[in-house]
Amino acid sequence: MQALLSFDQAPPLAAPLRFFLTAPLFAILAALLLLWSGPDLFASRWTGAALALTHLITVGFMLQVMLGAMLQILPVVAGANIARPQLLATLVNAAVATGALLLASGFLSYQPLLFELAAVLIGGGVALFIVGAGHALYGVPSTNATIRGLKLSLLGLTVTICLGVLLAVAIDGSLALPLMQLTSIHLGWGFVGWSVVLLAAVAFVVVPMFQMTPAYPEWFAGRFSWTLLTLLVLWSVADSAGWQCLSPWLAAAAVLAIAAFAALTLQLQSRSKRARFDATQHYWRLAMLSTLAACALWLAASSWPSLGERSEWPLLCGVLALFGGFMSVMIGMLYKIVPFLVWSHLQNLGRGRVFPPNMNKVIAGHQLNRQMQAHFVALALLLAAVLWPEWFTYPAGLALLAANAWLLRNLLAAITFYRQQRLTIEETLTHVSAAPAEAR
Amino acid sequence: MHEISELMTKDHRSCDDFLAVVEKAVTDQNWQLAQAEFPRFRDALLNHFEAEESILFPLFEKRTGMYQGPTQVMRGEHVQMRQLLAAAEAALAEREADDYNGNAETLLIMMQQHNVKEENILYPMCDQQLADQLDALLPELQKQLAG
Repeated sequence: MQALLSFDQAPPLAAPLRFFLTAPLFAILAALLLLWSGPDLFASRWTGAALALTHLITVGFMLQVMLGAMLQILPVVAGANIARPQLLATLVNAAVATGALLLASGFLSYQPLLFELAAVLIGGGVALFIVGAGHALYGVPSTNATIRGLKLSLLGLTVTICLGVLLAVAIDGSLALPLMQLTSIHLGWGFVGWSVVLLAAVAFVVVPMFQMTPAYPEWFAGRFSWTLLTLLVLWSVADSAGWQCLSPWLAAAAVLAIAAFAALTLQLQSRSKRARFDATQHYWRLAMLSTLAACALWLAASSWPSLGERSEWPLLCGVLALFGGFMSVMIGMLYKIVPFLVWSHLQNLGRGRVFPPNMNKVIAGHQLNRQMQAHFVALALLLAAVLWPEWFTYPAGLALLAANAWLLRNLLAAITFYRQQRLTIEETLTHVSAAPAEAR
Repeated sequence: MHEISELMTKDHRSCDDFLAVVEKAVTDQNWQLAQAEFPRFRDALLNHFEAEESILFPLFEKRTGMYQGPTQVMRGEHVQMRQLLAAAEAALAEREADDYNGNAETLLIMMQQHNVKEENILYPMCDQQLADQLDALLPELQKQLAG
């Protein structure tokens, strides 16, 4: 109950921004890796370079953005305040970032020590976050689909990280574990149990509110995260037990549920009352279209053996889900969250006596749009690179580099804006409070 | 059991709808329509704040003894939204599309994050705490929301 009573304690600006600024650095590293390793990276999803690239994006980019966003939204949607947010953010951000670097180096060199250190850092950082968030959420009743989804996504994250740590320790063959099978369960939990469940929990609030669409139907939102997690648990059990007659059907049911979420979101978005589509809405639409395409491809590859045998389809699915789906939606959300946070903190600094410029002035609109176009081009080139690596790997690497350097530039512009405006506000407040004294 | 939540949430949505009408008019550069529609949004929003500040919050504070809790935070955010509302209205009067859009967008985000807190946390608490006063409270709230 106590947590419910104090939703005024928004975390300090630096706490979420630390995570948001780290993310594009990892996407830039992913682009450099692509340029360094060349077309060989796309030989299969199991090449060291492909695995390193995947984790630079999932742990380096996605996990950072998701943890930072969660830190910010828990007080707003659930009234749950994380204790000592600044300290927690600093420790978790540093541990996960260092861990992600070590993990990528591990995949490129296959040094068991690097995997072990990465497991300690990522596992420790995420465990710290889960304890902090879990403590804040403890006792908050799950009164709606979003609060329930946030809690369940933390469960999904826990399973993902535990399996990841197990894989990192077992990769040198010291433990007799079925590594391929464990990898696919780890991937299932990371994509579905953590990422999709969290994305949907956030979507149930932000799509209707910020895009002014009708609400997600109660029967859908109320059951979505539970259904998905139940299917995931059953699939994990069936897959580990080797029940080949059952596990593909369970996986297909989960993929269909995700496709239904994406289709429903697109349908709601088409009924938006907003007069203009801004960068955030374009990013959401691209993300949902990419998710639908990834689901369709997955179902097609599972149904037709001639397609399923080809090595390109898992890579295509991966590019669509990671770069087209998750990264797009996250960048789109950053373009709303960061300017609003900057405005909101400046507004508080002004104490009702000095007013900051509105949030659209924080990052110039044309810079957002151009970055978005660069991201769209990078996605198209990455998809082409999977199919024709010799032709498109280098252009895709360059486009990914440009898009994420631009994203970093835009986020840094927001911070520069904050610093300049803070000075102006402080100066004005000093003048305002000095003026009556001079008058005397 | 959820009468207060339902009534106040419905009013949030109708404020959103009025704002969307103005946004559309500004996008179409139909300034006359935008200026004619804006007062409907402004009045609906101000009536909503008034219903909370003068009727709902005092009852909640009296019942729970929480005078410095969530209601105080909500009052503070109302002040910020009133400022944004005034800035948007001034931009509309000057027919400054960029300024209007920037202030209206900031107001929209401010409104929505404020609404999430109320709809997820504060209104359910009001439903729980003020269940025995609904007969008198609901008509009073409805009257104030209608202006």
